Amino acid sequence: MTENLNHQPYIDLKGIRKGYRIGKESIPIFSGLDLTIARSDFVAVMGPSGSGKSTLLNMLAGIDSPDGGQLRIGSNRLDQMGESARSSWRAHNMGIVFQFYNLLPMLTAAENVELPLLLKPLSARQRRVRVEAVLDLVGLAGRGRQYPALMSGGQQQRVGIARAIVADPALLLCDEPTGDLDRTSADEVLAMLAFLNRDLGKTIVMVTHDPHAARQARRTLHLDKGQFSEQRSAA
Amino acid sequence: MTFVRLAGKNAWRKPVRSVLLVICVAVAFLIYGLTACFLVGSQGSAGASDDILGVMSAAGRTQPLPLASMVRIAADPGVAAVTYTTRLRGFVGVENNVVAVSATDPRALLGINGKELGLTQRLVDAIGKARDRVLVGRALADAQGWTTGQRVTVTAVQTAREDGGRDWRFEIAGIFEGDNASTDTYFMIARYDYINAARARQKDTADAFVVRPRDGVPPGELAARIDAQFANSAAPTRTQSEKQFLDAFLRQYADVGLIVDLVVGTSFVTLLLIVVNTMVFAVRERRFEIGVLKTLGFSRHRILVLVLGETLFIFGVGGAIGLAGARLATELAGPALGLVFSALVLAKAAGLVVTLGLLTGALPAANAMRTPIITAFRTR
Ligand SMILES: Nc1ncnc2c1ncn2[C@@H]1O[C@H](COP(=O)(O)OP(=O)(O)OP(=O)(O)O)[C@@H](O)[C@H]1O
Ligand SMILES: [Mg+2]
Repeated sequence: MTENLNHQPYIDLKGIRKGYRIGKESIPIFSGLDLTIARSDFVAVMGPSGSGKSTLLNMLAGIDSPDGGQLRIGSNRLDQMGESARSSWRAHNMGIVFQFYNLLPMLTAAENVELPLLLKPLSARQRRVRVEAVLDLVGLAGRGRQYPALMSGGQQQRVGIARAIVADPALLLCDEPTGDLDRTSADEVLAMLAFLNRDLGKTIVMVTHDPHAARQARRTLHLDKGQFSEQRSAA
Repeated sequence: MTFVRLAGKNAWRKPVRSVLLVICVAVAFLIYGLTACFLVGSQGSAGASDDILGVMSAAGRTQPLPLASMVRIAADPGVAAVTYTTRLRGFVGVENNVVAVSATDPRALLGINGKELGLTQRLVDAIGKARDRVLVGRALADAQGWTTGQRVTVTAVQTAREDGGRDWRFEIAGIFEGDNASTDTYFMIARYDYINAARARQKDTADAFVVRPRDGVPPGELAARIDAQFANSAAPTRTQSEKQFLDAFLRQYADVGLIVDLVVGTSFVTLLLIVVNTMVFAVRERRFEIGVLKTLGFSRHRILVLVLGETLFIFGVGGAIGLAGARLATELAGPALGLVFSALVLAKAAGLVVTLGLLTGALPAANAMRTPIITAFRTR
């Protein structure tokens, strides 16, 4: 996709408002949030619990919508898109990695990875080749037939990453991808994300509580009381 | 993996639950298959002929027709043979042991539907030897334990004798077997001349005329012609094939088809509720996973198809097992029950499988489709 209009940022949020309604009361989370992220950037989002990190990520993923403001990713105005348009946008532009992997238990690792490809005009053979390639990329070559329940957390998360990138999306969103992993597994996952950003040019937004994880990113944003403060990573 | 396989894997993830659902569906379709086969094959009318016509009074089956009408019927060039019959209903011994007596001209009947009833020249000769002789159908004879030569007394419900009594004494001259197992032989044949001479009322009338059309004459056309002939007479007629007559006859007491529909309908409604309920819970349990699929870009439409596919899968497997069972039963049962597994039964059942599968899937599928992803994610 070409970014016209001289170096427009890849992700552009302007005046985002978002709140939740509990009973009669409306609890505001963002009231006028601005954010830009360049293509192929790797951004870590940190902040206290309940500060709205997941809410932000969900809006970027198009599974939650802002109450007001503009949300543009690439050439798409997510805030103006309907449910089915966003669904199709997700299938083609975005991969997501969850803290608890969220693999489907009745499917094998390979079948889990294959899911996003069912939405593409690919033959069974083409799908299999792609699945094997990404499993190889995340270091799980030959493990495709295993069921998630029999895998370690680190392995499951690598399946999760494989599923997120198999359809080759430009944007990768991760909600505490290492939150449930031990140090070693976490480091493997982080190394993989760094590789995807550096070598494959994926734009990554990663929510994390872990300062060590955040150091892998190029940029770290701190979210507190509905606003950002920023640190540029030294690395 | 394909989309279909994904639906299948979903359906199969709780094998016990799915197997129970499949059994449920299978049993319902077994019941459906058997009753449908029964309706197609039996109701007594499988053995009934479409060729032989019965001429009755247009005023009602119990209204007699003058015997004189027979001459005019016989005059129609499309008629090969015709005879009269009068039905005498009564009981033997106890009141609920009901038997039916058809009073007719046995010799003429032999020529009209002797083959169907299993009448032979020997039997007709035997009944001809005395006026009070009767021929008994195999089913009736077996049920009553009667044999040839025995004397029986039938107490008529209505038909009184000239002497005021209602007891009719008969001697059994022989037993007719019926052409095949589905022929109705639960009645006996008496001589019309005997009954007619001895009865107190309605002399020289018949309850019906039995007509065999000439070869090549369409029974429907002949029936219409006979009715037209008597349309403006003192005794208008209504002519039907034996099969039509039997269908109507059964319907007079109870609409068997309606009863079967009600029973089958009830079992299907129950099934529907069980499966809908189970599927609603199954889908609710899976709300989170459906949220994950939606996040990956599965459209609401695809989710709908996925859940519908799952119920269709269960109905497909269950329906196939149930119908295969029904098919097997029709073969094992032999012709005695008169079950016929026709292509029509199969087509209707297949239609039902799909319709019910879609119906039961509709509510859970709509739930799955509508639940916003964020809501689904908060359910864990
Ligand atoms: N669907 C919802 N309905 C009502 N309130 C919600 C909803 N989702 C989130 N919230 C509230 O919005 C606020 C922000 O939630 P969010 O999940 O974005 O925080 P977070 O920064 O991701 O926290 P954590 O670090 O614990 O994951 C919280 O106070 C939360 O309770
Ligand atoms: Mg969160």
